Parts: sequence; C-alpha cells; structure tokens
Amino acid sequence: MHFAPLPYLDPGSGSFLIQLLIAALLGLAVAVRASWGRIKGWFGIKPKPDEDDDESSE
Amino acid sequence: MTTNQVNSGQLAASFRDPSGFLFSRGGVLYRQVNRAYEQEYLRLMESGLYGKLVKAGLLIPHVEVDPLPAGGETAFRVIQPERVPFISYPYEWSFGQLKDAALATLSIQRRALRAGMSLKDASAYNIQFVRGKATLIDTLSFEIYKEGQPWVAYRQFCQHFLAPLALMALKDIRLNQLLRVYIDGVPLDLASQLLPWKTRLNFGLLTNIHLHAGAQKKYAGEEVKSRGGATFGRQAMTGLIDSLDATVRKLNWNPGGTEWGNYYDITNYSDAAFEHKKQLVDEWVKRVNPALAWDLGANNGIFSRVASSNGSFVVAFDIDPAAVEQNYRQAKGEKTENLLPLLLDLTNPSPSLGWANRERDSFGSRGPANLVLALAVIHHLAISNNVPLPQLADFFAETGKWLVVEFVPKSDSQVRKLLASREDIFPNYTREGFEAAFKKRFTIHHAADVHESERVLYLMEGK
Repeated sequence: MHFAPLPYLDPGSGSFLIQLLIAALLGLAVAVRASWGRIKGWFGIKPKPDEDDDESSE
Repeated sequence: MTTNQVNSGQLAASFRDPSGFLFSRGGVLYRQVNRAYEQEYLRLMESGLYGKLVKAGLLIPHVEVDPLPAGGETAFRVIQPERVPFISYPYEWSFGQLKDAALATLSIQRRALRAGMSLKDASAYNIQFVRGKATLIDTLSFEIYKEGQPWVAYRQFCQHFLAPLALMALKDIRLNQLLRVYIDGVPLDLASQLLPWKTRLNFGLLTNIHLHAGAQKKYAGEEVKSRGGATFGRQAMTGLIDSLDATVRKLNWNPGGTEWGNYYDITNYSDAAFEHKKQLVDEWVKRVNPALAWDLGANNGIFSRVASSNGSFVVAFDIDPAAVEQNYRQAKGEKTENLLPLLLDLTNPSPSLGWANRERDSFGSRGPANLVLALAVIHHLAISNNVPLPQLADFFAETGKWLVVEFVPKSDSQVRKLLASREDIFPNYTREGFEAAFKKRFTIHHAADVHESERVLYLMEGK
C-alpha cells in the first residue's frame, strides 16, 4: 500500500518506516496487556482506571 | 507581540499551517479556520472531542465569532481562543514542565484516536501553560484518522519531547538548551550519540531514539512504501502511544545539589529580615495591583507567591533548573493557576528565534510587565556580570512599569563573597550611586531598610 502524500510537515521517511518495522511488536504489546488484564480479572483484580478514559465518567 | 506581526496583522508563528492562521485585530487574537480545514474542524467540534479536551484542561477553549476573515474567500470560520496570559517556550521550561507537556500531548492523541482523529503535529510550541496546566493552544492540530497510516507527528514528538527529556534525565539537565538552537527539536542522531550507552537497554529509548535515528539516516529521502503490504493498524498506533507514554513516565530528574537549591538555608538573612521583606513586598504589590508581574531571580518562588496570592499573574524566572523545578512542583501541587515558573539567564535572556527571527519572541518583547520584582539579584548583575548601574536601570525601565528592587551593599556578606576572588572595580556600587543611577529612569516612592540586614528595598515607578 502507498501512503497518503506527505503532509505539510515532512514526517521523514525513516520516521514512517521505523513505525512500520515495530508495528507488530507494538500491537503485540497491546494485545498482551489486554489479555493480562483479563487474566487478572479472573482473580478479581480490577484494572487501574485509565486517566485518559473520560468515556466512563460521563 | 509587536515584533512578530507581519503587515496584515497575521502572526508570524503560524505561517506554516495551511489549515488556518492567527491574526490580531484591535489587540484581540483570532484564528482563521480555512475552507481546506472545514471537515476536520467540524469533526473536532461535533464528535465531542473538543468538549472533552477542554473539560480536561488539555485544549484551549475558543468561541466562534462573526466572520471578520483576514484571508477573504479562504475563510471557513473565525474563532477567538482564550488569551494565554504569558507565552513561554520549551527551552524555558523545567524538566517537569516539559514532561507534563509531553504527557498532555500523548493524552490528547489517545482521546483524538477515540474520536476518529489524530494529531498532525506534536510540536512543543503548541503547548502552553494555562491555569497551571499544559494545554494545547493550536485548535487546528487535528486531522481525520486514517487507519493503517503511521503517526505523522511521531518524528516531531521524539525530537521535541522524548529526546530532550531523555538527555535531561540521563545525561545533563542543561541539555534542554539544545531546544534553543534546534527550533524543530533535538536531532535524533545527535541525541542518540549524546545519550549514555546503557539507554540502548531501555526498549522505549532503543526504538524511539536509537533505532529511529538509524532509520532516518538509512531511509532518508526514500519514497514511503510499505513492504509486503504491512500497515500501521489501530492496535499498533495504540501500542506506539502507550510505549511513548511509558518511556516518558519512566524518565525522572530530581532537583538538588545545584546552585540555589538550598539558597534560603545558606543566606545571611535572619527570620526577621525575611519576614520584613515579605511584608514590604506584600504591601507594595497591593498598592500597585499589577495584572502581570515578573519576578526576576525568583529562586523557588517565595516572593512570587506573595504577588500571586494578591491576584497577579506572576512569571517567576530563575537561572537554576533545580529552583524552577521545585517552584513548578509546588505550584502544581497547590494547583496555583496564576504562577508560571520559567528558566531564564538574565545575563543572556531568550532571543527572537526562527524564520526571520519572528517565530519565537524574545524575553524583552513579551513585556513590559506591570511590576518587576528584582530581589537579591542586583549584586549578581552589577558585580558578577559587570553591568554598570545606569545600564541596569535602563534594562529594568524597559522591562516593567513598576519596580521592587533590593540593593545589597558591598558590606553584605554575600557581596563580600562575590568580591573575595576579584578586584573591586566598582567604585560606584554604593547606595548613593545606585539611587543616582535609578533616579534617571524611575521615581523612587519608597526606600525601606530591611530589618536586621544592611539591605534596602525600593518601590520605584518608571518615568
């Protein structure tokens, strides 16, 4: 796939490619954290509230 | 702001952005939203993202005003953002301020992603301290999020935030001054070279700085095509923001063991002298009632707080990163909304920087203040830095309308220390010489001998 034309601030080819290179690792980390949260959930440990998560408070 | 306006009233700091620009009319600051940015602006406002960010203190509130477009048919809307009491720059921030600005940027990006948007830039200059909190002031920083695309602002985030924070925490706190040289943030190859080798063992710093710098060098100028159809999915984006957040959070720097870190423990002040000084400052601040006060040589802000508790917005400048950090932590802990601690070397204050020297204002052009506090600072400027007293009077007269200034005579033990290792070439450094020099630019309303000391505190008004 081709990416959109470079935006007005050139993000730099290297800065794009490094993200693509580590994408799998980053995604995996998120998946592991989510499963770990579920495992802890089975033992009754509640996850720490996400301070960015304002959806629940409204 | 006078230096940074081009003829149309358009402000020079926002010229790069095709989404819109800042302009000023009749002393009021507006931001034009261009037609090209219509879709993004409406998504920001209608998705609820704007409301949530403003509620969390992460985005500057604005009101839409009747169109008085500066750019003719390119205008979609004109908004009037809330005024920021004092514009500051990352090279003037303490470690904690830069870290909070970084975390605010990531927090905004997380919320934006949930609303189907993404930050298109992550410039530290888009963050200002408003009511004590790191706040995004560029309402036009958002774009529609396209799943599969890497984060366009990633390089900027690493250069403006992660690299300087890592250098400050792990190499030397003074390396924040690199931001003054490199206006688009610290080049990652430079950061990678300067950071200790052991930072390669930290996954966040390894990937986001060292490998990132290597990739920039290797792929410079290449067309961006993914190999094997790989894309950067939402989960990868979330992982990237989480990784940056965790890496930033783990970077810490604690003040201590520096120039004035324990200044008030080692001064020659008695408690009575200190209390008397506070009482005089309080009395005079109440009399002048300044909207904006600058405390020059503020240390950790004891006297700045005398002014801020009277309702003034106080900018507390000091040269010592430890004192500024302590001051910021205290202000943050006490949720003080009208006190902004900043790092500044008075003998070499922030210059005008950027394209045509118009993007970032100098220290002087952000003034004058209504009141300047210059307590226990004159002897450093006059004796350590050899500035003649008439030039000091000129400097203070240009910096503020009112001046509360402390004269510290040669007989004072602090001044004796400064003179111990050098020849005394300051025959005019006397109370009489000081008053004669300052009377040329100021009317002296009060001169009070500080109890149990040889120092004199003055209240002066510029002529």
